[in-house]
Amino acid sequence: MSTERSIGLTVNGTPWSGEVDVRTTLADLLRGELALTGTHLGCEHGVCGACTVLVEGAAARSCLMLAVQADGGEVVTVEGLADGEVLHPVQQAFWESFAFQCGFCTPGFVMSAVALLRENPDADEAEVRETLSGNVCRCSGYQTIVEGVLLAGRKVRDEGAVL
Amino acid sequence: MTDTVEEPAIGARSVGARVKRAEDPRILTGRGRYIDDVTLPGMLHAAFMRSVVPHGRLLAVDTSEALALPGVVAIYTGADIAARTTACHAGSVVGMNMMPGLASPAFHGLATDRVRFVGDPIALVVAESRSIAEDAIELIVEDYEPLDPIVSYEDALDPAKPAIFEDIGDNIAMRGEMVIGDIDAAFAKADRVIRASVHVHRHSPVPMEGRGTIASWDADADQLTIHSSTQSPHMIRMLISPQIDVPMEKIRVISGDVGGAFGLKTGLFREDVALAAASIDLGRPVKWIEDRIEHLSSAGQAREEMADMEVAVTNDGLLLAVRMDVKLNSGAYPCDPFPGAMYAGSVSGSFQGPLKIEAIAATTTAVFSNKATYVAYRGPWATADFMRERLLDIVARELDLEPIDVRRRNYAVRDEPPLTMLTGQSLDGITIHEQLEQAAEIIDWPAFRRRQATARSEGRYLGLGIAAYLESAPGPRNPETDDQAGGIMGPEHTIVSVLRDGSIDIVTQQHPHGQGHETTLAQVASDELGVPFERIHVRYGDTDITPVALVATGGSRAATMANGAVLHGARELRGKIVSVASDLLEASVDDLEIVDGTVSVRGTPGIGLPLDEIARIVEEEPERVAEGTELVVNRAFHGGRGGWSGGTHCCVVEVDVETGLVSVERYVVVEDCGVPVNPAIVEGQIRGGVTQGIGAVLLEHAAYGEDGELLSSTFMDYLLPTTTLVPNFEIHHVQSILRDPDVNFRGVGEGGMIVAPATVTNAIEDALATLGVRVRDQHLSPAKILELLGTVTG
Repeated sequence: MSTERSIGLTVNGTPWSGEVDVRTTLADLLRGELALTGTHLGCEHGVCGACTVLVEGAAARSCLMLAVQADGGEVVTVEGLADGEVLHPVQQAFWESFAFQCGFCTPGFVMSAVALLRENPDADEAEVRETLSGNVCRCSGYQTIVEGVLLAGRKVRDEGAVL
Repeated sequence: MTDTVEEPAIGARSVGARVKRAEDPRILTGRGRYIDDVTLPGMLHAAFMRSVVPHGRLLAVDTSEALALPGVVAIYTGADIAARTTACHAGSVVGMNMMPGLASPAFHGLATDRVRFVGDPIALVVAESRSIAEDAIELIVEDYEPLDPIVSYEDALDPAKPAIFEDIGDNIAMRGEMVIGDIDAAFAKADRVIRASVHVHRHSPVPMEGRGTIASWDADADQLTIHSSTQSPHMIRMLISPQIDVPMEKIRVISGDVGGAFGLKTGLFREDVALAAASIDLGRPVKWIEDRIEHLSSAGQAREEMADMEVAVTNDGLLLAVRMDVKLNSGAYPCDPFPGAMYAGSVSGSFQGPLKIEAIAATTTAVFSNKATYVAYRGPWATADFMRERLLDIVARELDLEPIDVRRRNYAVRDEPPLTMLTGQSLDGITIHEQLEQAAEIIDWPAFRRRQATARSEGRYLGLGIAAYLESAPGPRNPETDDQAGGIMGPEHTIVSVLRDGSIDIVTQQHPHGQGHETTLAQVASDELGVPFERIHVRYGDTDITPVALVATGGSRAATMANGAVLHGARELRGKIVSVASDLLEASVDDLEIVDGTVSVRGTPGIGLPLDEIARIVEEEPERVAEGTELVVNRAFHGGRGGWSGGTHCCVVEVDVETGLVSVERYVVVEDCGVPVNPAIVEGQIRGGVTQGIGAVLLEHAAYGEDGELLSSTFMDYLLPTTTLVPNFEIHHVQSILRDPDVNFRGVGEGGMIVAPATVTNAIEDALATLGVRVRDQHLSPAKILELLGTVTG
């Protein structure tokens, strides 16, 4: 029996359809077939959060999700946030906050933060820390990431930035 | 006498400002280029089959069924790799294997007739895809004859147990002795001798990006290109050359963005040798991306030392001398080029730090074991600082003194004897007492003691810890008598040039992996050249263009050495630019200035020559400028007058005696790293290092069972700090003593990790001391704390 399946999904607003092996993870599809290498694999067992993307608007670990599970769905990766050269408010806030260093975990934090702030742009520090506790960063000590998320929230509230 | 230099005004200049990082837009938009993002034409994918037993004879490896799997291109066993490569003696290329007392066994990229730890690579599968390569591993059949596992120091020192390396004959990786000062005289003066055995546990750097390598052999050019996630591209080239019999000149190493390293990615890995041999054999690129289980078992682990210490003290808490018996568990295969065993000597050699101590005597023993390779981790000698700062608290407890008072008593005072350490290194310019007093004031020591007493009466256990360190990054230097400020790594080279479009090109020998050198080096050059930050670009990561460096980025070296090379290189380049402009504008060089990338006569900013026009004239109309003019400078920098880095850390913890959980309520850092080029980047280095130190104490443990099985091979067993473990950090800087006329930027990358473990363990003991708890281990997981409290048995 063939282990290939035909699937179709929308990634960063662009439709994609094709054959995938049933064991292919969403992360491998994004990084391989779609060449969207901004989504990173840090552990491949669902702990580090580097591979976080949005599926139907919710944060999801693309290393734990099979590509076939995203069939018919809408996926947003870190490449889908900026508007041309204009950074997304979370990206801009991370830049202004010196949020990260090596940057390997960063796409996962950005996507987790986008999901959090879309749900609650007024999240306070405790909520931000709690929500981001499923993402691991080895460089920053987290403080500037938290500051970045809080700054993005202020951009939404005070400047009308759109997430 | 100490030369002091006025601190540059901050604000008008780029140096000292929180300039947003040049690296960030590409990383934030997913356009970073890490090793797994690289795809080459015709590329094959590799996976390593690894030992599941800690120690055994490898009797057979049957690959026939795996080779038959469609998509498998080749499988190499240890014998295949041994036939294609020359054995490694770790450190031999740079002479490290010649250290007295160091055992230097021979080994290959893959295990041949013996497996030596869980994760030891046995076979390399090359296939059309990674998943096929991984499937094939399941089809390889191996046969072992188990041998007694060597796990503990006692195992390794037991002559009845088998030697891990038969060519060494026993499990001693290194023995050494050190006596500095008159140890017997110092002990004879003591009021008391206090004894303590202190242990540091094995833990790991764990960058978020694991290891990864693509070896690509070009048979037509006889050239090997290696793409790698590394801190030191040139090092890979130097070390691999003799093992694969390809001249160094025919090896090019390319490295892009690196997802963290922390010392782990300094050297050459055994897997790299096997991959290169496979690519040469197949004539195609072979890519290997490590998974996390491989990383935690096989990439390398750090620390694991212990010291039995005797310290001679006076009743008022002055440390006169220390005798130490140090042991280090270096794992199996020695790291190339810095074998872990050598760090045993640094536990005693770097113990003194800022102490006014009179003598240190030490015996050191490093052993081999059936554990992963001992590798460098952010402050590889940090166990020395841990032992000293833990011992100061042990002395304070024994003598019923405040830990900060013991430090006031024992730390050397600037400009008072002793002005040098026992090793002869100058203590000039240290600010450790200023740090101590500032930290004590910020934390409000007396107020904390009152709060602690009140809390105790309510059944809550708060503790305050303090610890300090000095780091020779680069240390005080005298350029008249010592031009070796780069230490064994030598001077730093940088190439600075004006490009045709008037932008500035900096080629550095650094290989940043999170440190933000694209930003900081451009800041330094911007000030020197009068060119906007945005017009300066920093390049690195290709051995075809970068100056040779043994360690590219590591050892807290870049702040002084790389910034210094850029500063002086840019200054020299400015001289060339102004000299050309002087001829073209018929003005004296003294009257010229460069503002916003345009050279003009001072006071007439509207009239001038932009750099792109000067570059055009030099290239297209050379007759208009002095013969041989090139707007390029290749500058070596030896470190200038240098100076000490260092800091004092304080933290407040609360220990829940029911659960053993520790929460870090406050963490205060008072740092001296000279002049920060970019304070936001400096603070990031400190926070990141401290977080790793907190993680080391409270969570992280590369744990092995007594049978040699690895117990921490996933992130569900090897726990890392997350947002909820660490507080917001309070970072302060003391007024630094500036020794150099120009270059007073000092290393800050390692300090947080060096001193945080002692700060946190000291705080935990302080919290629980009234319950009779005495801390002698660095690792204080909840289970360990409950054990110390007598709630559970170990």
